[in-house]
Amino acid sequence: MLSPDPGSFRDPASRVVLDGPRVLRLLDLRGLEAWRALARTDFFTSAVADRRLIETAESNDVPPGSAGALEHPRLPFISYPYEWTFAMLKDAALLQLDLLRDALSAGVTIKDATPYNIQFVEGRPMFIDIGSFEAYQPGEPWMGYRQFTRQFLFPLMLRSWIGVPFQPWLRGAMEGPTPAQMAQLLGSRKRFHMGALLHVRLQARVEARMAGRSVRDGLKTAGFSAQLIQANVRKLRSLVASLEWAHGDDGWSDYGSCEHVARDRAAKGEFLKSAIERTHPRRVLDLGANDGHFSGIAAAAGADVIAVDYDEAVLDDLYRRSEGSSLAVVLTDLANPSPAQGWAGTERSSVADRAHPDLVIAYGLIHHLIYHASIPPREVVRWLRTFDCQVVVEFVSPADEMVGKLIGNKRAHELHPNRDEADFRGLVEEVFDILDETNLSSGTRALFALRPR
Amino acid sequence: MTTATGFDDALEEEQMIFGYLDPGSGSMILQVVIGGAAGIAVAAKALRQKYQLRRGKYPLPDGEEPAESIEDTSLPSES
Repeated sequence: MLSPDPGSFRDPASRVVLDGPRVLRLLDLRGLEAWRALARTDFFTSAVADRRLIETAESNDVPPGSAGALEHPRLPFISYPYEWTFAMLKDAALLQLDLLRDALSAGVTIKDATPYNIQFVEGRPMFIDIGSFEAYQPGEPWMGYRQFTRQFLFPLMLRSWIGVPFQPWLRGAMEGPTPAQMAQLLGSRKRFHMGALLHVRLQARVEARMAGRSVRDGLKTAGFSAQLIQANVRKLRSLVASLEWAHGDDGWSDYGSCEHVARDRAAKGEFLKSAIERTHPRRVLDLGANDGHFSGIAAAAGADVIAVDYDEAVLDDLYRRSEGSSLAVVLTDLANPSPAQGWAGTERSSVADRAHPDLVIAYGLIHHLIYHASIPPREVVRWLRTFDCQVVVEFVSPADEMVGKLIGNKRAHELHPNRDEADFRGLVEEVFDILDETNLSSGTRALFALRPR
Repeated sequence: MTTATGFDDALEEEQMIFGYLDPGSGSMILQVVIGGAAGIAVAAKALRQKYQLRRGKYPLPDGEEPAESIEDTSLPSES
């Protein structure tokens, strides 16, 4: 039974469908021709070998109505650009440009430039949309330039030049800022920077002036060429490479050195290892992963791990250390996780719908949800139950030093009831069986291993 | 000036060539500028074509008026 991937429908020449565990890409005649032009090149062979491009083989299972079918390996986890850190989007942007440069040298172009065509596999970006490649027609400009600026370049500029995180923008407006919006956001910043002048301000002005006009033939007869695109790509690459985000020790970067963290870390690791030995999980969801210490334990045990946190600085560091591992990094606030959205509300699925864990780690998390995000304890426990798998969770009592910090200026009557350990145990036993438990040396924290009832 | 029919034809052709993504006319023109030295020859030729069209150097098909700006500088032989 073929089921169309709800995120793959914009290109009529190529559409991804799922056939049980198999991932197929169905092609029309034009798509098949484009694939064969790509498959003939050395560029394709070397990019697949370098793991910059997803493995692709022509399939004999061509369903009626399609001219051809390709088969790809199924990726462990799909993430979206609004769940990526700065370094991830930057690496993806550089991959997009490098692939275009190399493809053009082989007579092939990439007809779009969206980060949704890139996924992270073993800590490195990989281009997954084979349908984006087609033979380069002499005289054509780079069709993806505008999209590249909106979905890669401007978001990176937002963080690097203005100090504003790009994720909320990409989550709210998935096409990214328009050149005119980016010019407004820049204001008088980078007034004399050539990259800001050309890609932001000039693009905004030319776009407004040329709206709705046809320029294709004019550019073609004027001699537009692949060499001109490559010159643009070289300059853009240099600009992207120059964009940096120097995050300090704000947020939770220094969490690992906190006294209670260092004291309890070994015991929490051992408790997690016991849970892993009990469940042999193929996929682990680490909620509030921070520096990835416990994600690393699960990955070392052979699981694919999804490390979720809302702190971009710690996840940026974790991503940089994740190359070669089975660890996927997801930046999202668990009090407001990535929703299902896009066309028909199904184009991009919620982070919960993509996770499918066999084991959930919720260390150092639920007291933040209860005391900081004001989620009632019962809601938190029921939410953990929705993952429908075993959970290892750290309970933090109201007497804990960290809880005092999280409460801040709130008064006791402004907090939800059922916050002590006896209450928590009662809430848990409504929907879970407690398989294992232990008190941590602090005396204010305890670990529970839970199995859904 | 293009007729309504001519405009529709041009749109249809553009969609066929460009596929599903709107590259933006201004952003395409801009690529000539950001190409630096590599774009100078293209820009010069485009401007020369625009100038020649305005001077009436290229015969236009019946009923077609000269292009008004750089974006309509396709040679009649290719239209």
